[in-house]
Amino acid sequence: MPSKDRSDFPDVTHLSPVVFHILLSLGEGERHGYALKREIALRTGGKLKLGPGVLYGSINKMLEQGLIEESDERPDAHLDDERRRYYRITPRGRKMAQAEAARMRDLVQLAAARFGVARHA
Amino acid sequence: MPDAGVSFRFYRWLLRLYPAGFRENYAASLERQFLDELSDSSGRFALVMLWIRIFRDLSISVPVQAAREVMRDSRHALRLWRRRPLHTGFAIGALAIGIGANTGVFSVVNALLLRSLPFRDPDRLIVTHIFIPPSGSAKQFHDWRQQSSYLEDAAIIAHGDVNLGGTRESARVHLAETSWNFFSMLGVQPVTGRAFFRDEDTPGKNAVAVISYGLWQQLFAGSRSALGATIRANGTPLMIIGVAPPGMDYPGKTVLWTPSAFARDFIPHTAFLAEFTGRLKPGITWAQASEAFMVEADRQSAKHSKANRAKYPPRMIRLQDELAGPVKMASLILMAGVVLILLIACSNVANLLMARTADRATELSIRSALGASRARLSQQLLTESLLLSLVASVAGLLVAHGTILLVEKVQPAPLGSQAYSILDGRVLLFCVAISVLSALLFGMVPSLYAGRVHNFGTRSSSAMSPGSRRIREALVAAQVMLTIVLLAGSVSLGRAFFNLMHTERGFNTPGLITASISLDGSMHQPYDRQLPYFEQALARVRRLPGVRQASATEFLPLDATVFLGAPYTMDGAAPKDFRDFAMLVPVLPHYFETMGDRILHGREFTDQEVSSNASVAVVNEQFANEFGTARDAIGHQLRLGNTPPIKIIGVVKGMDYMADANPVQIFLPAHSPSSYFPSIVVRVDGDAKDHLSMVRDAIRSVDPQVPLFGVKTMEQRLDDALARPKFYSTTLIFFAAFAVLLAVMGIYGAVSYAVTQRTHEMGVRLALGTTAGRLRSVLLGQGLATVAAGAVPGVAGALLSGRYLESLIAGARSVSVSTCVVSVMFIAAIAAAGVWGATRRIARLDIMETLRAD
Repeated sequence: MPSKDRSDFPDVTHLSPVVFHILLSLGEGERHGYALKREIALRTGGKLKLGPGVLYGSINKMLEQGLIEESDERPDAHLDDERRRYYRITPRGRKMAQAEAARMRDLVQLAAARFGVARHA
Repeated sequence: MPDAGVSFRFYRWLLRLYPAGFRENYAASLERQFLDELSDSSGRFALVMLWIRIFRDLSISVPVQAAREVMRDSRHALRLWRRRPLHTGFAIGALAIGIGANTGVFSVVNALLLRSLPFRDPDRLIVTHIFIPPSGSAKQFHDWRQQSSYLEDAAIIAHGDVNLGGTRESARVHLAETSWNFFSMLGVQPVTGRAFFRDEDTPGKNAVAVISYGLWQQLFAGSRSALGATIRANGTPLMIIGVAPPGMDYPGKTVLWTPSAFARDFIPHTAFLAEFTGRLKPGITWAQASEAFMVEADRQSAKHSKANRAKYPPRMIRLQDELAGPVKMASLILMAGVVLILLIACSNVANLLMARTADRATELSIRSALGASRARLSQQLLTESLLLSLVASVAGLLVAHGTILLVEKVQPAPLGSQAYSILDGRVLLFCVAISVLSALLFGMVPSLYAGRVHNFGTRSSSAMSPGSRRIREALVAAQVMLTIVLLAGSVSLGRAFFNLMHTERGFNTPGLITASISLDGSMHQPYDRQLPYFEQALARVRRLPGVRQASATEFLPLDATVFLGAPYTMDGAAPKDFRDFAMLVPVLPHYFETMGDRILHGREFTDQEVSSNASVAVVNEQFANEFGTARDAIGHQLRLGNTPPIKIIGVVKGMDYMADANPVQIFLPAHSPSSYFPSIVVRVDGDAKDHLSMVRDAIRSVDPQVPLFGVKTMEQRLDDALARPKFYSTTLIFFAAFAVLLAVMGIYGAVSYAVTQRTHEMGVRLALGTTAGRLRSVLLGQGLATVAAGAVPGVAGALLSGRYLESLIAGARSVSVSTCVVSVMFIAAIAAAGVWGATRRIARLDIMETLRAD
């Protein structure tokens, strides 16, 4: 139940767009910072371009909140740069993302009932 | 691509903007991402766009990360504070007093010296001393000012108190008689109505007045009907033509301005010299203006004697300096005093934090081992310091407010617009600045020390290290140094104040009541009616129960800002040592008896001598001594300038007028006792305060229309007169006591801490045969060596600062070497007691247990 999920994490609901997008990307698998940035920019059509400071600021906060964790697995040595850090989503992060998605779905359903669904030309 | 290298290096440099914790964790990742983005940006345009994005990113993320780390460090600091509430409370208290006193005194300095006067281009306004321009008539003055080579404009002013009538009740208010251009010269526009018209300062046209904003509110509730209304000053009707803007009360809290400077309808020519205020021409430098002024002043004073010229040289000074003048130096010295207090508080808190940091060496070492960098540890400690300072500065604002209330009482601002306030941008900025500076000052030492803990990374480098001990000893020595400066200064001031309190004043203060009267504008103003009024009032007062005697004088002791003076001779001979004019004091019969029977030889005036204006005089001891002995003076003839001879009938003790004047005083019969500042004096049995209302009613019963003011006991007047020196000396003594307390706590803390840290070493020494007494003596020697290290520069500082003390209390001589020696001995004795107390533990040390514990 979405409402139950939300009540489990009252402190972090709802998620900021940046955090949600990071969770979305990590939902697919491990990523390093720059890969996250590129993927999010692509997904949002270039509307959300995360600078290094904002990106790692969000990552820092998400690590503290236990939504993501750093991964020890690294690519082959010839592809690796030790300055890159890889992250993966935690079970808690997954639950949070689900809860957020449910919240958004509820909102969309409510908006559709109230205003109707706009037809794209 | 050379740009890439430069860009990368610049970005790496910019990363320093992030707080240490974030930087440590993510600097490498941030650099990697920047390189990735850099390689994606080919071409100049893309590079520019990248940098725009980077700057936007930094401007968002740096404050967010800084706030997060500050919050985290603050929470950590609060947890530590909770563990040591006493330490924390003491540190906050010491800093609050330091920061608060500084902010309070700064708000005074700000109001007097830094805040602009409410006039147009106030820096170009000047006043002069011992120079009056041609002002016999309006034409003469205006011709002079229009031809001036250095002044754009100038106005003439005479001001003093008058009786305000034509309103619901009679009152004393301050009035300024000016030339017509007074307001336009200052650049002040009335809020309603108009200022004076050109030529309105000629007789026949000058019965108009501008009133102050406060008086407008008080009498007319801010109604425009005030314009055209009539108000009476000393009985003369004046039509109100304008209202001055709020805060305008120049000169000297004036509420009523009239353009009658040349007619002098209100302020007698004899009682006051006119002042004059000018505005320098645009473009002229101060040096050029001063030179032009001196040439003009030289021409004017050519007829005066050279001696007189040397004694009273003409001077031109800025209006702002003139207004701040009497209290400027005192305020700056107070400022220096409070800065010393803050420095002492800072070194004390630094010492305290140093001890705490040394205690936390293990914690810091562990954090360092877990990867915290030197910068991270320093940042943590600096945040703690800033937080401490912030809390202290909030509490300090209360102290500042209290300080202002105190200063306001003893050293009121000369103009309403100069009111002291902490709610001023500059003052609040100052408060923030000194809080941050203090935090840096007292936080720096522990923070540097934390860096060292990081370097060694082990507990062995902690509290016991000689380095840490040396830093703490240096801090204590610095405190001792500053404390000696304050202590020696306060001893010197305290001694001067004690002398001031015990000055022979020439009258008995207890049981004396004073009441000032002004007959101006009343039916008793004509010369021949003045004496009958006083005789009637005194007769009524004398009939009151408990009243022993009553009399009156034109100049009340302790109160004479203006007085009459004249050159004097006795039997045609000039005094042995002529310094200045003698002070002339008209008095009524029984004056000396009322003031406290200070007649040394002869007698005082009889009723008949006063009513017939007989040529008799009573002189003071100083006068008699100028010509021989006090007894010899009786029966001799004195002359005041070219007057007919006056017979000396009595010699009395001189009275203290607290004026910068010749102590030679000549008392004359007050035939028309309302020419200057008449006051009735009453000698009563018992507590003078109990008789105040009775005396007031008795005087008022003669004519309720006559303004009666300043009905006070002489003790109250003395308290008022001594309020300022009392404030300065008690403040400095308080500062010194506070400084001694902090210094002793610093020494006690340092030694007691050393004993705790070196318990094991002491145990070993005791086991090897040293006695507890010898160990304590060694520590005592070390403590006293610290005191001595601080005492040497402290004494030098005290001797240097001493010369400025005289501007706080007249008679405060510079700090003497003996005062310094006493101060050093005092601190050494207290420090020795502190060390001895702190080392008591050594005597009770169980050697076996101590050695086993380690």
